[in-house]
Amino acid sequence: MAELPPVTEEEFGRLCEFLYRRTGMIFTEAKRYYVERRVHDRMEATRATSFASYFARLRSDLDGEIEQFVNAFTVNETYFFREDHQLRCLTTDLLKRRIAVKPRNEAVRIWSMPCSTGEEPYSIAVWMLENWAEVDAWDIEIIGSDIDTRVLEAAREGLYGQRALMRLTPDLIEKYFEPAPGDRWRILQDLRDSVRFTTANVMEAAETAAHGRFDVIFCRNMLIYFDDTSRRVAAENLFESLLPGGYICLGHTESMSRISPLFEVCRYADAIVYQRPLGGARG
Amino acid sequence: MRTPSSINGLWGVRVADTASRRILVVDDASLVRMYYRNALERAGYEVDEALNGLEALEKLLVRAPDLLIVDVNMPKMDGFTFLRALRRQEGDVAATPAMITSTEAKTEDFEAAQSAGANFYLVKPIPQETLIDYVAMLCGPAR
Amino acid sequence: MPLIRKSSGSDAPPPGPDFEQACAGLRSDQLDERWRAARALAAFPQAAAVLSAAVGDESEARVREAMFTSLARIGGPDGVKALAPHIRSDDAAHRTGAMDALKALPEGLPTVMTGLLKDPDADVRLLACDLARELPAAQATALLSAVLDADTEVNVCAAAVDVLADIGLPEAVPSLRRCAERFPAEPFLAFAIRVAGDRIGAQAPPRG
Repeated sequence: MAELPPVTEEEFGRLCEFLYRRTGMIFTEAKRYYVERRVHDRMEATRATSFASYFARLRSDLDGEIEQFVNAFTVNETYFFREDHQLRCLTTDLLKRRIAVKPRNEAVRIWSMPCSTGEEPYSIAVWMLENWAEVDAWDIEIIGSDIDTRVLEAAREGLYGQRALMRLTPDLIEKYFEPAPGDRWRILQDLRDSVRFTTANVMEAAETAAHGRFDVIFCRNMLIYFDDTSRRVAAENLFESLLPGGYICLGHTESMSRISPLFEVCRYADAIVYQRPLGGARG
Repeated sequence: MRTPSSINGLWGVRVADTASRRILVVDDASLVRMYYRNALERAGYEVDEALNGLEALEKLLVRAPDLLIVDVNMPKMDGFTFLRALRRQEGDVAATPAMITSTEAKTEDFEAAQSAGANFYLVKPIPQETLIDYVAMLCGPAR
Repeated sequence: MPLIRKSSGSDAPPPGPDFEQACAGLRSDQLDERWRAARALAAFPQAAAVLSAAVGDESEARVREAMFTSLARIGGPDGVKALAPHIRSDDAAHRTGAMDALKALPEGLPTVMTGLLKDPDADVRLLACDLARELPAAQATALLSAVLDADTEVNVCAAAVDVLADIGLPEAVPSLRRCAERFPAEPFLAFAIRVAGDRIGAQAPPRG
């Protein structure tokens, strides 16, 4: 294997800026090692002999190079309690602010979109049952939506392998899952009955509007794959799908700053999230 | 809401009293950011960057800078809208000194910047020595 | 069990407004009605003119944003022509909104670029240079090299250099050099031209 020179400071900066402009993803110095690795992987795969020539390929998105590059960072394999700092933010900061302004008889509504094979919405359910003090005082409605009907079927089945459960303690697994054939685990019937799975395309206002409005939306690692106009449309649909004062959480490398100015940024101890303003005109 | 007019000084700037000052440069032109960064780091300041007003808001909530250098024309959120949003924030960060940079040199542009909450206004292009002089004036020396 | 599952199916939303209803909605004094109307108009290509006329008077940021999104979705030569005049606005937020929408329409930009780059207003020419970033490298290089050769405003040239530093081809190098000579007392421009030249030079394929 030929030795590829390390990515220089300036090259790293230009690459990050380009990816940020195109996808909204943010790569900090902390991620530098992984970004360099990925650049070298892709340079080898595309037989690029210099950073400049690889970067030219990336810029022109030849053969979908941007998605190829970005895929390494948004591992399609999901698992329970992924990005748990956002779950912690949910039960520590977001929900208490929501219930402070909600009528008592309204359900707390949470949307996981895209939900893929269900790890995320089920994680939200388990986390809330385990960590939210008010969990018995409120009706909670959790919906998982995706454009892909096959993953939704799998989500309804609720069957998971060991890898999906790797972040869960044995106690939690015992409490919320039952063993299933093939060295797998099935999430308990109660929970499968509690989460509603629907098909939805975030680009279609009619489809998103049909789900009503939510207190919190988890929309992770999806918008980075959209082009500019599609991201704007999705952001407007997601805005519409939030109650005034409701929150939206993106993936940890994503930022609303490249997507849309509709939301206000909120910084909490565990996460940065975005809020639909409560109301009242602003300049 | 604390407005610059409530503090004494050049358009109401109070010199920060912490050591090792940090400057957040907000401009969507990468060469402009690079040019300012070179000058600021040579002068001993720490530098952070943002490409537009939205990114700047996010960054300053994570780590409040001692001074903002903010361009006007940027994607997603322009410099004036950013400043107004900054001055509405809760806590000390709302009073962060902010310098507007702009290609415009008319009186109404200075006034617009001042109403938006700017503490100073520099007309581009800004040579490095000029930048450092005014940065030092607005937030003190690097250390 | 606090987790509930609503058993009812999706609530079908009411059908969207027709063109006349949506245009009327744009004039409502209710923010949410104008927001809905602005979004609905994306479905009507003939709405470019009415959206363009309304966006200048819109004071609410979110409605203005939706109007610009709809213009971007309409796209094509009508969308681009409806958007381009808005980069002249005295209001920075307005200019930003128009620029964001135009940048989403790279295929349509060539129809307006030459005119914008020759506009008597330097601010317009400066913003037009930034738009050139969305064009194919060869086209951007040709347009921006012409700017470097002729524009009298240093900030316009600096904007052109910034884009060329990103996507410029070797054809730009002579114009970069000449521009540095035309503005001998401009340190930032000299810096920018040097960086741009270095980056374009680095593109040359390795020999051997």
